[in-house]
Amino acid sequence: MSNDQRQAWFARVMESGLENDIFAPSDVLAHATPDVLASHLPPELLSKVLSASLAAGSMTPERVLETVTPDLLAKHLPHEVLWQCIAAAAARAGVNKTVGS
Amino acid sequence: MHRRRRGARRREQDGGLVNLKAFFVATLSSALDLGIAIPDDVIRHVTPDVLAAHLPRPLWARLLTACVGAPRVDAQLVVETIGVPNLCEHVPAPIIWACIEELALRALGGVVIAVPAAMSSSRPNPGQTTQVSRPIPLASPPPPLAAEHKVAAAPVSLGPSIPAPGHEAELDASGRTRVPPGQRFRPSSSGIGRLAAANNARRPQAQATPPAPPPAAELPAERSGTLPRVKRGQTESDFDLETYVGNKDDWKNALAVEDEQLVDWSASDETVTSGDEINRKR
Repeated sequence: MSNDQRQAWFARVMESGLENDIFAPSDVLAHATPDVLASHLPPELLSKVLSASLAAGSMTPERVLETVTPDLLAKHLPHEVLWQCIAAAAARAGVNKTVGS
Repeated sequence: MHRRRRGARRREQDGGLVNLKAFFVATLSSALDLGIAIPDDVIRHVTPDVLAAHLPRPLWARLLTACVGAPRVDAQLVVETIGVPNLCEHVPAPIIWACIEELALRALGGVVIAVPAAMSSSRPNPGQTTQVSRPIPLASPPPPLAAEHKVAAAPVSLGPSIPAPGHEAELDASGRTRVPPGQRFRPSSSGIGRLAAANNARRPQAQATPPAPPPAAELPAERSGTLPRVKRGQTESDFDLETYVGNKDDWKNALAVEDEQLVDWSASDETVTSGDEINRKR
């Protein structure tokens, strides 16, 4: 599989997870921490995030993800981080607890 | 959120999660569409035994019908006949999740062959998915990805400084080409200044008598303001043209006044050559 396919898939998984409330934006930022975002997001995207937050007066996870969409998350962030977010959501839902049983 | 999570746990005990199933459908469908997964990956987890235990009879009938009429029975036929939504609807969520987890681990592992071994080792301990996902990415894939991102981030951060010199170079190039015409233009305007400077060159000589030129300049101005209006009350253009001519005449008149002052200069020169100043100096 190519990197583009993997990137598109993780973007779709993140998008679906947010749409279906598998995890919330705050859960995403719990893994995509400010350090991670600052280390991997390009300067222009960081600028957009800050500009949007300044315009709104606050920086919330929802607002951050409005700018850093799932596509951009999958494009810039390490997929391991995204997967940790997905796996943690699955663990909270108790999905993977009964796999072995 | 709390109500939804509690409801999700109850539904999980019942055999499924509404949101989770939609998530599974989107995840598996996109994985198959994007080539992240192949039907064999699904059937590896959703085995015939799992299907026999959880798939409804009508779907079994459809599957059997398709298999009987197909020239070849394979995983693709099974998955396409049942459909991903039906699989996620009837197959227990942990099994679907195990399939997704395998796909993700393989995707994170990239091309490295050691990843499947980690995957197989992670399966016996599926309860800790985060632990499974962490070691594998740290093994091979994250370094290149992180390195790529870091490398990309570094040049981008350096980018702002790079375009700046580029613009500066352009500005310099254009500025250098534009500056000469500007300098040429300035001399053209300064040519008048040079004439004025030439006039001023005379004035410095007359700096000994600075008070004299100002009244001479004031007088022609006053004359030009009064005389043309009195002489001609025609159109404004003619009026202006004549005022210029009148000014030149006034300059001559002004020079005539300066000539009177030049008499003093000559007188001073004469005094220099004469013995009166010598007597004064003495």
